[in-house]
This record gives sequence, structure tokens and C-alpha cells, in this order.
Amino acid sequence: MRSCRVPGRGRVDASRPVGFTFDGRRYQGAAGDTVASALLANGVHLMGRSFKYHRPRGPVSAGSEEPNALVGTRRGPGRFEPNTRATVQEIWEGLEVTSQNRFPSLRFDVSAVNDAGYMLFSAGFYYKTFMWPRGFWDKVYEPFIRRAAGLGVSPTEEDPDTYASRNLHCDVLIVGAGPAGLAAARAAAVEGLRVVLVDENAEAGGTLLSEPQVRIDGRPAWDWLADELAALKGLGVRIMTRTTAIGYYHQNMVGLCEKLTDHLAQLPADTPRERLWRVRARWVVLAQGAIEKPLVFNGNDRPGVMLAGAAQTYLNRYGVRVGDRPVVLTSHDSAWYAAFDLQGAGARVQAIVDTRPSVREDLLHEARALGILVKLGHTATATSGRLRVKSLRVNPVQGGQVGSPVTIACDAVLMSGGWTPSLHLFSHTQGKLAWDEAQTTFLPAETREDCVIAGAGRGLWGVQAALEDGAARGREVAAALGKDSAAQAPRVQGDRTGTGVTQIELPTDLNAGRAKAFVDYQNDVTAKDLRLAVREGMHSIEHVKRYTTNGMATDQGKLSNINGLNIAADALGRPQPQVGLTTFRPPYTPTTFGALANYHRGDHFELTRKTPIDAWAEAQGAAFEPVGQWRRAWYFPRPGEDMEAAVRRECAAVRSSLGIFDASSLGKIEVIGPDAVTFMERMYTNPWAKLGVGRCRYGLLLGDDGFIRDDGVIGRLAADRFHVTTTTGGAARVLNMMEDYLQTEWPELNVWLTSTTEQWSTVALNGPNAAKLLAPLVEGVELTEDAFPHMSCAECTVAGLPARLFRVSFTGEIGFEVNVPSPMAMQLWDRLWQDGQRYGITAYGTETMHVLRAEKGYIIVGQDTDGTVTPYDAGMGWAVGKSKPDFVGKRGLARPDLVAKNRRHLVGLLTEDGSRLEEGAQIVFDPKQPVPMTMVGHVTSSYHSQAVGRPIALALVEGGQDRMGQTVHIPMPDRTIAATITGTVFVDPENTRLKIEA
Amino acid sequence: MLLIHCPYCDETLPEVEFTYAGQAHVVRAADPSSQTDAEWENFLFIRSNPKGPHYERWRHLHGCGRFFNAVRDTVSDRFLTTYKAGAPRPDLSSLQGDRT
Amino acid sequence: MNKLVSSFTAAPLARGAVARVSLAPPVGRLVLRARGDLAALNAALGLTLPTTIGQRAAAAGLEVLCLGPDEWMLHLSPDQVGAVQAACAALMASHPHSLVDVSGREVTLVIDGPRAAELLTIGCARDIEAIPVGQGRRTAFDNVTVILWRDGSAAFRLDVWNSFAPHVAGLLETGCRELAAETA
Repeated sequence: MRSCRVPGRGRVDASRPVGFTFDGRRYQGAAGDTVASALLANGVHLMGRSFKYHRPRGPVSAGSEEPNALVGTRRGPGRFEPNTRATVQEIWEGLEVTSQNRFPSLRFDVSAVNDAGYMLFSAGFYYKTFMWPRGFWDKVYEPFIRRAAGLGVSPTEEDPDTYASRNLHCDVLIVGAGPAGLAAARAAAVEGLRVVLVDENAEAGGTLLSEPQVRIDGRPAWDWLADELAALKGLGVRIMTRTTAIGYYHQNMVGLCEKLTDHLAQLPADTPRERLWRVRARWVVLAQGAIEKPLVFNGNDRPGVMLAGAAQTYLNRYGVRVGDRPVVLTSHDSAWYAAFDLQGAGARVQAIVDTRPSVREDLLHEARALGILVKLGHTATATSGRLRVKSLRVNPVQGGQVGSPVTIACDAVLMSGGWTPSLHLFSHTQGKLAWDEAQTTFLPAETREDCVIAGAGRGLWGVQAALEDGAARGREVAAALGKDSAAQAPRVQGDRTGTGVTQIELPTDLNAGRAKAFVDYQNDVTAKDLRLAVREGMHSIEHVKRYTTNGMATDQGKLSNINGLNIAADALGRPQPQVGLTTFRPPYTPTTFGALANYHRGDHFELTRKTPIDAWAEAQGAAFEPVGQWRRAWYFPRPGEDMEAAVRRECAAVRSSLGIFDASSLGKIEVIGPDAVTFMERMYTNPWAKLGVGRCRYGLLLGDDGFIRDDGVIGRLAADRFHVTTTTGGAARVLNMMEDYLQTEWPELNVWLTSTTEQWSTVALNGPNAAKLLAPLVEGVELTEDAFPHMSCAECTVAGLPARLFRVSFTGEIGFEVNVPSPMAMQLWDRLWQDGQRYGITAYGTETMHVLRAEKGYIIVGQDTDGTVTPYDAGMGWAVGKSKPDFVGKRGLARPDLVAKNRRHLVGLLTEDGSRLEEGAQIVFDPKQPVPMTMVGHVTSSYHSQAVGRPIALALVEGGQDRMGQTVHIPMPDRTIAATITGTVFVDPENTRLKIEA
Repeated sequence: MLLIHCPYCDETLPEVEFTYAGQAHVVRAADPSSQTDAEWENFLFIRSNPKGPHYERWRHLHGCGRFFNAVRDTVSDRFLTTYKAGAPRPDLSSLQGDRT
Repeated sequence: MNKLVSSFTAAPLARGAVARVSLAPPVGRLVLRARGDLAALNAALGLTLPTTIGQRAAAAGLEVLCLGPDEWMLHLSPDQVGAVQAACAALMASHPHSLVDVSGREVTLVIDGPRAAELLTIGCARDIEAIPVGQGRRTAFDNVTVILWRDGSAAFRLDVWNSFAPHVAGLLETGCRELAAETA
């Protein structure tokens, strides 16, 4: 294998070789190499195949803008990532790299046949081709597109890495640690300002890393850089490398993705792979520099054709000569320096081909001195070479006429179409762009954010200009933050500045319709595609973009957007500012889902609230179900039991003896104050004024639209104190709603609300033996029918614990809810469990609770109601205090729609064939009507009832309360089930079971 | 993510501490029962949807817990001002918008 | 008498070199709501209730943080709770207020160590450094409502409702390990 490493050049450490594999073959690079620089050092340009035509491709850039050299990287099981940019990924010992979009191999790929079919795969190809015949879609087209679609291969194993996130507040955030960013940091780093400087590269320095010839303050650039970084750290500037600013959000919030381990051979313990930073900066300085534009000409995508600036970076930063016989093709002065640098590093530059008829005299002079052939006023019309460029075909252009071609043999084409400021983050701020005719590019103009742009990012070229502008912007920002900064930019020698012209696709003497002059490398969009799109009626740049997919690849059009705009504007015959640029959107570079999800996976994927009894239930083998954020015990299966068997047993235990239930997740709100009763009267439908202390009542809460929002039992502990309970899922919502009315509608009321949901844990005892178990444990209350009747409440002591005792029933059996402070809940539960053994106490879960309450016709808000059900619909008109002047929902209940006939009412259903209905099943009156049938309601709750001896259901049915005894039909896929409308109470309608026998 | 000034805490804080609570200055009548169907419909359902300054209610849920009012520009998403519940509507022409 | 035993059973809390998280011993907690003239309540409590949100006051085993225009969190020894409740109850008729015992509602995590403030940034979006030492704030940690007491430049307490505590403590523990690895 041939080495293209140039001794003595670059910042890589040749004394520290690093081994890695590419498509199974072993290569050696040096510490500090990227995959691309290491492969180029080994003479390998071919690194991938393009997306659509599967054309062989090599790196065109040396940075994060890379569209071509996308590879898969692997680090053992689970750690595979597709579409990694080889120009960014640093190598480490053992890294496995694979090429993409090729089968069976990178050098020979069968889908490259697409390339031969280039004339077929034009812009809008998918829209046009797969239209007909219609029947082909399912069987032929879609499978074809699905197989062909996608870039790289998705990982299939679970990601073993961890990801993190932090918030960071600073005074000044500087994005980009090139000369402008460094100077801005220096100027802003005054006493009292928190300054953060971030850069996506492995090391800070930006263009200085590629321009060692520059001298700053009389010292070599790299020496100055090292000292400057040390000085900034000394001033307290936080410098973060391998950290990409992925998005600029409202009010100076910038998202950063920091890569912490992708460059390491050994993964350190407790270190996340990536960390997402949410930075809130008082001022932001964008110093992201500029991106070089490719030239658009036939064959500009062959491996070996790359940006001239990239070739300079490979040489000066990585010590790699990308070609021994390069030819330079340019419309900008900057590429001339690439030629000079390569010539100086032992390459024989075959020619400098410039599209301009004349260039600066000093450039011509130096080329002559170095013995480099110069061709001015030339175009490039073709390249040759299958897996690596072999020649460049150039023609003179005079008076718009393309002359006879000359073919220049070469092993690399280094091109430059000039430079485009990196506008992406600025664009995220909805900042306005201004067209600069002289530079033929958009420059950042107005933004509403506290943000300034420094250096090449606003069209200033050269190290001196960048340092001066950076220092000025840094001072400006410091002043805006009330600080004086006297920092001045250092002096630069050996700076290389220049100008150029902007080209659309280069003129040609060949059939332009057959030219493969690529604008967007990654999506294989050519100049011809853009012109075709305009011809076919796409006159908005947004339409051109979507029709051709130009700029829609993972590189977000970093190389292609401006070239695409220039060509589209030319085709439209309109100036560029009238055509406009498409919007850049976050993220700036592809970002892992891991970084975005960060801590929220595994145990932290979703917050799960557990009650103090949860661990006990888990030890008992309970099955759980989520209710809101809570996980609740669903049922307690014994060995061999399925859910149905467990629920049947639990139901029977409650109805025959004693069940114990963890109701701790019920919402609880303490309502206190002299106006507490007034507040309750206004919030809930029920009357409260006459509710005695020590009594409780079922309360119904509506919205002002008259629909049921929540319900719960409410106890009056004192004249001015209520203990309100809400549904488990409704707790936060109800408190919010109460606070809303209290703070904004009735601020005059002297009453306060405090959430006690988690202060009190609630243990429910239900069954004929509930009072027998509890009575001996209670001090302060006599649990007899007379002393503590149904719907009583008291503050007392239970099992020696301070308690609030409620006599309530959600099952139709004798029931108590014992509230004790949460830290004591398990103590209470243990005691009840022990003492309850003599009654065969049975723990039951939410499913049994649901069955038992349905047998009694008690509703579950959110299951039997859906936000369109009134108390009257639910058969609970008795809960409405009609004589009250007002309560939330009272006026709503009088709305025309709510008093209309034939509203859907909650009723019971008993199926004629004894089958169990499905919850959610639709109901019709006439099963013989044509489809689509008129649906008149749906099943809301359905269970097998042991107590009734058959399945029971609750349903909302149109006019149901007036249709008792009638038959409705429930059409199912295999048959139609007939059911009879009944009342909602299936068990003990007289409530005889609630009585405690003396 | 927006920054919101809580008029009770007198601090400008991240949006995650707050929840949106609908349009502001929608007054619930003192005696709803005297409202016509049309008036009640207007109170319940009819909301403005302006391009530009919008009177809104927010709650500092994870902070002081207070509901307060705000004027927010629906074009820029910027809060032009925030003020305590019960305070009169600010004059739109006087609002410049806070840059922080 | 029944001791307040925490129901919180988190995994071992983190003890790194640069940040530590531990569970504070049980404490009495009262939520006080009142408005208007606070003089009588001040006298009953033996301190002046701060009226600026975020400010604290302390006296004889009682610590109070102003959470809202009419809201305070009181921390006190568990055996003082009854006495304070009784003292305030006597004022109910003349100075309406609400005093609710929430001692069992939440736990307190103690976070300290040189990088304690940084540890909090994994869940707190607000600028921790902007909270002066000796003050406190109710805020959100990973969308969970918490009360953050700043006792020193690198010493904090975080009050979290019981059921949210494992989530919050788990994240802090992860963050502790990250900071330890970062500093190593």
C-alpha cells in the first residue's frame, strides 16, 4: 500500500500509529487522523456510493459539510452507526468502518446500473414513473422503492451507550473556535462575564489548523494558537470541542451536542457517549466561518475530485497529499494557494485552470515561479476514471464560445467555486438575509435575537479580517453586557485573501442534457434536474427543492443550496434575492436520537409514580397497570391463575368476606378557610352548606360547559375544612382548575387549597367483615351503624396511627377508607393484613375494583364519560344542587344542546346470548339497515360479573333512559349481538349490604 | 424555549416552569344564569386568533403557582409584557417587547 | 409516638468526590397560606414571614421559605408540629389562614460537594447560580415540581414529593457518577 503521508506536515502524530479496518481490510493511520484523512493517507479515495445512482464517491470536503464519504462505524455489539461522516470521525485502534450503498462490494455494485439509466431518473422521477398502472403500486413499485430507499443500514441491536444532558447559562456563547471566535472570546472574556466557546472539531483553531504559514503577532500560527487557548482557559473561558451547535432556538437558547467517547479506543466508565447541552446565553456570537462551494461540471463527483480548501486541510492539518498529480480548477483565488501548497509538498500540479480570463498578478507570478501550467478563461467539460479520477477535460472559453478540448491527465481535481458564509444557525433565528451582489451570496442581516456574526460568516475573508472582526464583535457584546473591553486583534503576516466569481454550471461543448454535473452530491441532483424542474413549472425555490430533493439530504444543502439557487435563478431569469433561499432547519448536522432522548430511556423513559404499598404488591406477584403517571396493582394472580380467574376470586372475596385495596393514588386536596363552603358550593354541583362536620358526600365536578370533569368523595372535617378526593388521573388537573377559578374569578374568597395526595396514603377495606376487622383497631370512633353511619368521616387513630377515616363504599359492600400519613402506610397495611387473616382478607387490584363498582353502576370518569356527558346523561341528576344560584357548569347545563332530547344516556346492557361485549363497541338500533349504519352509542364498561352470574355492561345509548327494556344491537366482525337496555345498578339496588349489623 | 417573566416572582425564567392557560380577559359573568345562550357560547368557545399581539394567560405552575396575564406576539413568539391577574390590559402601542 | 419513617426506598444515594446526594432525616413540614396583615402569625411563629418570593427566615428550629404571594413552606422538628399548629389554630377566627401538615408528603435530598450546582443542571433549566445563598425557589427538576433550598454556594436541599423522589434521585445519582468520571 502506498503512503501519501508527507513527513513533517500536519498535526497528526505519526509516531503513534492507529490501526482500523475499512470493509474488513486493515489500514494504519496516525493519532489525530479522521477516517477520511487516514484512508487518503493510504491512497484510498473511494469511500462510498451515492444514494440514487450508486456512483462511486470519495470525500469532497474535510469537515462536517461532507456529503459523499458516509460510512458505517462499529464498536462491537450494539454500537453500530450508519451515515457517519468519514471526514469527522476520528480513528482509534480497532475501529471498524464499512462502506454503504453498495452490493456486493464497494468496487463493484450492481445498483450502479441506475447510473446507466441516468436519463430515466430525472427530477420528479418518482412522481412521474410510479403513477401507472395503478395496480402496480402494492406489488411492484412500493417494494422496489422500499428496498432501494434509505441511506445506510439502521442498527438492529439496542444501543448500549448512555446519553446525557445539562443546562448551561452563560453571558456569551461563541460558536466556532476559528480566528474570529478566538478573538471574540478574548475580547468578551472580561471580569464577570461567563464565556463559552464551542467548536465541532476535535481541536479548536478552525482555519488556523489548515494555515500554518500564517504568523500571528510574529509567531507561527500554531504556537500562537496554543498560547491563546491556554490564555483563554486562564481567563475562565469554557472551551468545548467536539461540540456542535445543532440548533438556535428562541431567546438565545442554543442546543449543543457534545461527543464524548466516539474518538476513544477504550470507553471510560460512567461517561455518556454524547451530551446534549441546552445553553441560554445573554449574547451569542456566531463565528462559524464559510463553506467552500464546489464547481458544477460534468463528472465533478468522481473520487479524487474535491474542494481545494479540503486538499489544503488534508495536507496542512493531516499531512496527507491527496494527489501526486493534481489539477486545480477554480473561479476563486483561494484555490491557487492550494496548488502552491501541494506543489511545495512534493506534488506535481498539472495545471491551474481558472474560469476567469484574468487573475491577480502575484498569483500568476508565483505559479510561474513554481513551474505550474496556468490556463485562464477555461471551462471543465468532463472527467474520466471509474473509481478514481484519471483526467480532466478542459476547453477555452472566449466570447461565450467553448473552444476545443484539451485533456489533462491527473489523479485529483481540486476545485473551488468560492465561499459561502455558514448561515444555518443564523437562519434558525428567522434572521433576515441580505443578498450581496459583489460576493454573489447571501449574508446575514437582521435578527431579533441578541446575536452578532463575526468573520467569514458575514463575508469577511482572511485571518486578519477574522481576528479583527472577532475582536470587534467581542467588544461589542461585552459593551452590551455593560463591560469595557480593550482587546485588540493581533497582527497577521502571511495572510491569504482573495476574491473570485460565482459560476452556475460551467459552459460545455458537449450535450448538456447528458451532463452529470452534480449540485447535490448526496441526493444525486444535477444542474439538469434543476433546470428541468423550472421548465416543468416549479417557480418557487421551495418547489424546486422538493421536486428535485436538492438540499434535502443529511448534509442539509451545505454545499448545494447556493449553487442550486444560482442555477434555478438563472433558469427562471430572475435575480437570486427574488428567488430566495430555502430555510435551513435544525439540526445543523445529523444528531442521534440518543442525544435528544438523553436520560429518558430505560428506567427514566417515563416517570412512574408508585405508592408506599407498591413494593408489597410487587412482592405478592401483582400485575400492574398504568393510571396517569401512577402504576397501580391491577390484580393479584395466585399460581396458575390468569387475570380472569384472579379477578373472579378477588370479587368473590370482597362480596363474601373482606378485601383490601390500595387507593393511595387518589388525588387529595385540603380546602381550608372561612369561605371554604362557599368555594365548594361554587365548584361542585352538589350542595355543601348543610353537610355536617364528620359527614362526607359524593361530589361531581363539571366544566363551565356542563360536562363531567371529575368526581370523588369529599369529607367535611370542620366548618372551614374539607378533605376533597379526586380521581387518580385527575388530581393535578382538578387542583389546577380550582386554583384557576379561585385566583382569577373569585379572588375575594378567603380559602386556600393544598395538595395532600401524597401526605395521605389510602387503604380501602371492603366487605361484610370490614367493620369487624377495623373496629378493634380504631380509637376515637365507634364503628357502629348509629355512631358512624355510611358516608361518615372522622379524624381518629387506627392501629395507633394518626388517621382520617372515611366510611364510603365503591363496591356496594360495607367500606372504609383509612388515610394515614404516607410514611406509615405500610405499617397500617401490614397490621390490617395480619389481623385480616381470620377473615381471609384478600388483596384486590384495580380490575376487581372496576368490576365491583360497575355491578353497582358507579361511573369511572374518563371511561364511562368522555367529556361530552352531563350529570343528567349519566343518570346523576340527584347530584346537582338545582337551587344553588351558581356552580361551575350550571349555566352550561342549560345550553340548548344539553337539554335536547335524545342525548346519549348511560344505561346498563345485558346481552341476550350471555356473551361479554367489547368495550368501545358501537351500538345500533336496527341491525338490518344498510351500511354505513347509524350508530347510536357505544359500550363504555364491560365485565364478567360473578355476582350477577353473567356479563354486564354500561353503555352510552341515544335516549337510553327512555328505552328501558328495549333491544339494541352491537355489530361485530363475525356476528351481531343483541342486548337489552337495563338500569345501571346490577347488584343490591336497595343498598342493604352497606349496613353494619349490630 | 421561551423565557417568561413572572410578575409575581419578578424573575425571567425558562418556559418549562410555566403552563399556558388560554386567552386572557375572557370574563366569566358574575351571574352566569342571566347570560343568553349566545353570550354563554361566546364565553365558552369563541376565541381570537390574531397574527401579532395576543392577550394570554399563563401559570407559573412549577414556581409561585400564580396565574397571570401576558401579551405575546404570535409572529415572533416573543412576550411583549406580563402582568398580574386583575391588572388592566396594557396599551399595545406602548409595548416594545423585551429582548431578553 | 409514631416516628415519621420515610417510605422512600431509593437505591443507595450517590457519594462522589465532587458531588454527593443523600436523604435528609425526616422533618416536620407545614404549608402556610395567608394574606393581609401577618403580624399575628409572625408572633405565633416567632419569626417574620418573608414576603418576597424565594426569601427565607429562621428562628428556633423553624425554617420558612416564601413560595408564593400567600404561601410559605415551614420546616421544623417533627415534635414541634403540633405546637405550631395549635398556636396558629388559635388565630383562625381573627386571622384566617390555612396550615396543612405535609410532613409525610415529601422527602428532602441533600446535595452538596464542590460541583453540586452543576449536578443540578442536569434537571433544572433555570440558572442555579442566580439563586442567592440563603434563599430558595420552587422550580422544576426534569418536569417534577421541587423546592430547592440553597444553603451554601455548594450546598442545596431539594424537597420532592415521595412518588417523584426515585426518579429525581436516580437522575442525580447518574449525574454524580458522570461528574466523578469527568473529574477523575
